[in-house]
Amino acid sequence: MMTHGFRIDQDKCRGCLSCMRACPTHAIRVRDGKARYIPEKCIDCGSCLKSCPYGAITATTWSFQDMDKFKFKVAVPSPVLFGQFPAGVTPAHIVQGLLSVGFDAVWDYGVELFLASRAVLHYVENWKGPFPLISVSCPVVVRLVQVSYPRMIDQLIRLQIPREIAGREIKRRYAKELGLRPDEIAAVYITPCQAKTISILHPAEGVESHLNGALGISEVYNPILASANQQRNGLPPPAEIPNIVRNSTFLGWSVREGLGRSLARHNSLHVTGLANIIQVFDDIEKGKLQNVEFLEAHSCWSGCTGGNLTVANVYVTLSKLRSLVGDLPEMDAETLAEVNSRYPLEDFSLEAPVLPRPIKGQSGDLREKVRLLQEAEAVLKTLPGYNCGLCGAPTCKEMAKDISAGEASKADCVFFSKDRLSELYKRFLLNDR
Amino acid sequence: MPEVLLQRAFEVRGGDFDKAGETSSEIKALLKEVGIDPTLIRRAGVVTFEAEMNVVMYAESATVVFTLSDEDISIEVFDRGPGIADVDLAMQEGYSTATDEMRQMGFGFGMGLPNIKKNSDIFKLESEVGKGTRLYSAIRLDGAS
Repeated sequence: MMTHGFRIDQDKCRGCLSCMRACPTHAIRVRDGKARYIPEKCIDCGSCLKSCPYGAITATTWSFQDMDKFKFKVAVPSPVLFGQFPAGVTPAHIVQGLLSVGFDAVWDYGVELFLASRAVLHYVENWKGPFPLISVSCPVVVRLVQVSYPRMIDQLIRLQIPREIAGREIKRRYAKELGLRPDEIAAVYITPCQAKTISILHPAEGVESHLNGALGISEVYNPILASANQQRNGLPPPAEIPNIVRNSTFLGWSVREGLGRSLARHNSLHVTGLANIIQVFDDIEKGKLQNVEFLEAHSCWSGCTGGNLTVANVYVTLSKLRSLVGDLPEMDAETLAEVNSRYPLEDFSLEAPVLPRPIKGQSGDLREKVRLLQEAEAVLKTLPGYNCGLCGAPTCKEMAKDISAGEASKADCVFFSKDRLSELYKRFLLNDR
Repeated sequence: MPEVLLQRAFEVRGGDFDKAGETSSEIKALLKEVGIDPTLIRRAGVVTFEAEMNVVMYAESATVVFTLSDEDISIEVFDRGPGIADVDLAMQEGYSTATDEMRQMGFGFGMGLPNIKKNSDIFKLESEVGKGTRLYSAIRLDGAS
């Protein structure tokens, strides 16, 4: 099974070390002049994608063509989508735009946001510890725990996230209304980041997602904008537009710290940015955050509005969302009625628990592993400690582990081998810059 | 006799709230590196963290000895400090001699020692007033408690 969603084009890769240095979980090595993943260590954060100067890294995607095999296609837009367009483009234009690019319906998952909040609140209030509980809405955070903080795995909230609840309800409702089989209906998330696409195609808990795929905001942006411009150029407004803005919660989700807001009285923290999250997780491990009950963490520093498949400037997006939220009530009667009727009937628990990801070399005989650890520590003492990365590992410490595991040799270090240095120099001369 | 696979000693200073938790996190990192079950790591983490906090709050200094054998993880803490006058009383949940200041920092609820005991398969506590305390905790690798 594929555990991560990136590919490196070996022809385009020049072995420049950018991705290796950018990777927060040390999941990349550069061997023989080409970057490679250690797949089980990748958390799908996209740092490598962003760092590559040669466009050699691509993410798993899903496309309009993948939608064709379905009879009825439903878009589930992230609230971030509505903040992407210039002033004058309203949510109604955007919904109409989605219909014009081939969707048969656009889902307002404001209801699912409320359902999920209620379920999470109940979960937090009945949890016996250990704290803090960690929100599973950002797939990168879930994978970070699986890979780097397996001891905190039970602290991931074992509940469905809103977009998954929406996917399930879409299948159920339209199958009933239209007499279709659930597999003839596509629930497609309009996503601000590639990590969510990957989480839909390859969920962390290993079960199948209720969504069928995802299209990046950047992919639907141009056709929606073209459609919105047409609509604004005198074409009559469409007869029936789903009422997607019934309350401020849906559009305000990314502006108002999402779930954390409904858990304000439970000592919640909202942490953004992968480096900050790692710092907070380290503090949790040290026992420093025992009084925090709930942690909402987003890998992007500005939350989902800063996802790598968004188009507009983050601040403009936030400002636009704030203006759209305007004076809307936090909850409206129609939504409340639907939440109240669905909440008691639905099961929000995760179908399978998220488990720590087995990392190569971390299973097997204990004696052997202790030997490897001690050998790595001994090797590390002999390495220069400059963390130059020229050996192809991001730090001397990682290199020491690679050497003890037999995956690299000391001769890969430029301080030990003149051959290595001349090899790098030759490559430098070959690359036309 | 269990065979010792890995042994490390750490120094903890009394009153050093800034560094508190570091020994515990180093021990957890070592255990993770050699692929110990996360549940056992968590238990060892609680034991070390609580023991470390006791040193930081009450003692002058301490040596923490971490040992991994083929049978168990053991944590031994030798502290130099005031000692505990009534060990049985100190083991009761909720009993604490913490100051208000410590409580304000979120510690001193009298759960430390009981928590250590709860997470240990073998637990020993000996103390000499005016000299110090020796704490021994072992967690079996086969998970039996």
